Amino acid sequence: MLEILSRDNIYKIHTASLQILEQVGVVFKHKDALKIFEDAGANADYRRELVKIPEHLVKWALNKVPSQVTLLARNPKYNLKLGDGRVHYTNGYGADHVLDFESGQRRDSTLKDLENFTRMADYFDNVEYVYPSIFPKDVPKTVVDRYVYLTLLKNASKHCANSFLSLDGFKDIVRMAEILVGGEEEFIKKSAILDTGASTAPPLKYPEHTTACILENGKYKMPATICSAALAGASGPVTISGTLVQMNAENLAALVLYQIVGPGTPIIYGTIASNMDLKTGIPTYGSPECGLINAAFVQIAHYYNMPFYGTAGIIDSKVPDEQAAFESSENVLLTALAGGDFIHDAVYSILETGLTACYEQFAIGYEIVNRIKRIVKGVGVTDDTIALDIIRDVGVEGSYLKQRSALRHTRKYLLDELWQPAISDRLPRSIWENRGSKTIMQMAREKVKEILETHKPEPLDKDVEARLEAFVREVAKKELSE
Amino acid sequence: MSSDDIFERLRRAVAEGDPEKTEKLTKEALEKGVSPLEALEKGLIKGVREVGERFGKGELFITDLILGGEAMKAGADILKPVMKAEDKGRKLGKVLIGTVKGDIHSIGKNIVATMLESEGFEVHDLGEDIPEEAFVEKVKELKPDVLGLSSLMTMTMPAQKDVIEMLAKEKIRDKVKVLIGGAPTTREWADEIGADGWAGDAVSATKESRKVLGKS
Repeated sequence: MLEILSRDNIYKIHTASLQILEQVGVVFKHKDALKIFEDAGANADYRRELVKIPEHLVKWALNKVPSQVTLLARNPKYNLKLGDGRVHYTNGYGADHVLDFESGQRRDSTLKDLENFTRMADYFDNVEYVYPSIFPKDVPKTVVDRYVYLTLLKNASKHCANSFLSLDGFKDIVRMAEILVGGEEEFIKKSAILDTGASTAPPLKYPEHTTACILENGKYKMPATICSAALAGASGPVTISGTLVQMNAENLAALVLYQIVGPGTPIIYGTIASNMDLKTGIPTYGSPECGLINAAFVQIAHYYNMPFYGTAGIIDSKVPDEQAAFESSENVLLTALAGGDFIHDAVYSILETGLTACYEQFAIGYEIVNRIKRIVKGVGVTDDTIALDIIRDVGVEGSYLKQRSALRHTRKYLLDELWQPAISDRLPRSIWENRGSKTIMQMAREKVKEILETHKPEPLDKDVEARLEAFVREVAKKELSE
Repeated sequence: MSSDDIFERLRRAVAEGDPEKTEKLTKEALEKGVSPLEALEKGLIKGVREVGERFGKGELFITDLILGGEAMKAGADILKPVMKAEDKGRKLGKVLIGTVKGDIHSIGKNIVATMLESEGFEVHDLGEDIPEEAFVEKVKELKPDVLGLSSLMTMTMPAQKDVIEMLAKEKIRDKVKVLIGGAPTTREWADEIGADGWAGDAVSATKESRKVLGKS
């Protein structure tokens, strides 16, 4: 396991974060939240909307948090347990532009794109739960999150994650999940069919609607991802360790509030932090620092015995090129080798730092993550894999492709030991040329075409689907007439 | 069990790459009085063709191809003596095959040899790293219909040309059809050095052999 931070340095970051919480505090733009903090023993400054959180309250809250999180899926075979020591991966989130699959031109994203990307996410086995890769622009912003959730449910039977753009959106999506699982009471038992989350408006601040959603989740105790959005050099210190301290303080503050309103709420503890490019003033997520922040933060989450939520694999490049490939590969690999329980944006399909989705890139991301999964699996050592008898059988100057016991041994372990490419080229030149000298982009295009032509997601129950459709139509009618 | 069942089981044993099972089933077939030629064509060859095709499509591994070939061979070795007695005239032709000088790769060449044998060719395998004189010597001795020259490296490809030139020098070039193959080779290369045919993979090697002999 890769370790970026020593034990002593993790502790140093931990104690520094506690000092920030006690001495500087965190802003929560929500009156009720301030009162709730105060009643629990924090120091609330109502004028500045600021809470200062003592160490004992942080410790109390950390003790409430379970060490594992189970996310439920429409098809139970896709239920996910985070915190079991394995690394899990998912896709990218929220592009509002798309490189058109036919013309290659950049255009506004649509609900149809979301449908396509979700079907691909359903198909790719290394996308273990599904995020909306697209935030479609052809649906009004006030209701888009409901349409997004409906489209996810119709096109994927894995756990579907959404973002709530408002408290009303949060409530509506809970209603939809209730329809999905069979009623209000069922949902209380199965609230992990959804997940929620809070990220900061750094430094050290939670906006009003984020805070409202934290409070609302007290009723349901859905699994919550907490992730600081600090940018080193702009909304966090330029030093990575300083940014880690601030991120951790921000995360702990939200964690305390989640636990006060809903003790035992499962937390996935993580980061969507990175750094700012200080020449252009825009955030960069394909930076090596983003990978380092993720890998280091894995250790901080594990120090508190919580599963980690990472954001590694994002691409700054505008086109699906060499830059895109190395940006994505490096940071996912780094985070995976550090043992990150859950890596969001790993099977990445978006260019331009989250803005422009690219169909081909999704297939390339699939290939990248499959390679990384092989690396993370490591080298198994058993009497059978050490293969002493087989080496003896083949002997000197023999061949593992001739000796029958060796051939059988190869057959037994081949798929376990040797990664198989889906779209990468390894052909001899003559055959590669005969087949049209295809580049990775062409191979990726063919894979995308094949998936979109053939993959049929497991359909929703007809009645459930009709009720969800009716619900979303109703919300849209109401919202848009107002 | 009907003979259709036994053919199907033979096919599957070969397709699954199980030499022991194929051997056992072949013996059973003969005991039951199944025609050896039919057992070969409807069982073993069908199985090995399936392996070859699926390998060509990228669905199977070299290991599967080799084990499939071995399974086919295990069955064929039992059928051959019986068939020789029954069916003398079936031979499609005689093939001499080998990997050229400086090249020690054997897998592709061995697969081609097995495939050719399974199709009904008589195959003589010279082995690997064979100098041109040895090829020419053997051509004179065995008088094969086809000479197969394998090269797996760009570096050793010119050796294929050397063999053809030596055959011409010895005035026996027109006595034998020369097929070349191996990953780096191309049809253009085959034309350039005056070979009679080119086989990019094991499956096309059998097709190409039939073609150059006018038996396709």
